[in-house]
Amino acid sequence: MWQALHAEIAPRGGAVVTVALDVLADRAAPWVQAAAPSHPSVLDASHVTDELLGFVNVPMAVWVDEHGRIVRPAERASIDPPPPDTPVPEGLPERLGQMMVEVRKIPRDGPVYRSAILDWIDRGADSPYVLSPDTVVARSAERPATHARAAACFELGHALFQRGGTDAAAPWWREAHRLFPENWTYKRQAWTLVTTPEGQPSDLIQGPNDVYEGNWLDDVVAAGGGDRYYPERVL
Amino acid sequence: MLLDSLAVDAEAFAARTGWEAKPEGLCRGEVCVPAPGAVRADGRLDVRIVAERLRMPLVHDDAHGLWALGPSAGGRTLASADAPELTLPLVDGSGSWSLSSMRGRRTILVAWASW
Repeated sequence: MWQALHAEIAPRGGAVVTVALDVLADRAAPWVQAAAPSHPSVLDASHVTDELLGFVNVPMAVWVDEHGRIVRPAERASIDPPPPDTPVPEGLPERLGQMMVEVRKIPRDGPVYRSAILDWIDRGADSPYVLSPDTVVARSAERPATHARAAACFELGHALFQRGGTDAAAPWWREAHRLFPENWTYKRQAWTLVTTPEGQPSDLIQGPNDVYEGNWLDDVVAAGGGDRYYPERVL
Repeated sequence: MLLDSLAVDAEAFAARTGWEAKPEGLCRGEVCVPAPGAVRADGRLDVRIVAERLRMPLVHDDAHGLWALGPSAGGRTLASADAPELTLPLVDGSGSWSLSSMRGRRTILVAWASW
């Protein structure tokens, strides 16, 4: 999807760069190989872009103009067309059915966001989607002391994961989750590492586990449901 | 920022955080914070002083002898609309990429993950 957009905008002076928030490069690599991108595809194993740019979930994006100025801060960034609006199939395991209900509450307005990108690529600073520098800063996420500390805890946990796996990382990642529960990259990253069977692709269900208090479904419901899964975006 | 001691190279600190050590203190853009004693005799920065002056959380894992210094608390994630320098490895392991290399192009920087 992003490679197709890049191919469309590259001749018009635009570019896509994808940043994989993955502690394990070998989990991200098969996806990149399958997409065969002609754009840069980079790895952010310690989630430093969360700290520097304000990502709290995926997909999220930042727009950077030709002068190196951010013209839209981190925001929800799906460009996919909405899937068919079919009922949740009957007979699914209860938790899986509940997950599908919450997933369907996530705003599905990919074509609108894609159109905004194309408008900016073609019109640059004249695009109505370009924000002033003051607005960019004002719309970037607040950073209370708890969120700043969570960033340090996640990065330390990542360094310890490299040395001793989940046993070493989990105390610090639990603390990051407690301090910044709205950051889904911290939580989903940690959960999938303990719920994915050996040798399998990353687990997307991220159910209850013995290492972390939270899990995808219960945390999404506690946060207010799928429609609260991303920070509000105003185009 | 990951640390294995409580002294950090000033250039490495500036590259990660944007805060530079200057005679008037620790400065980012036009903002300077007085930080007496922050620059050690060997030219490196005293992390405890820097953390206190810039409201950066400092966490420590005793068993592994590692510290991590978080971003400044308070305010917003972005201090300005100028994109920070960002250098990351390519997923295929063939090298690295820097955000500054995209100058001249309108760039969509997209976060995604396998999970």
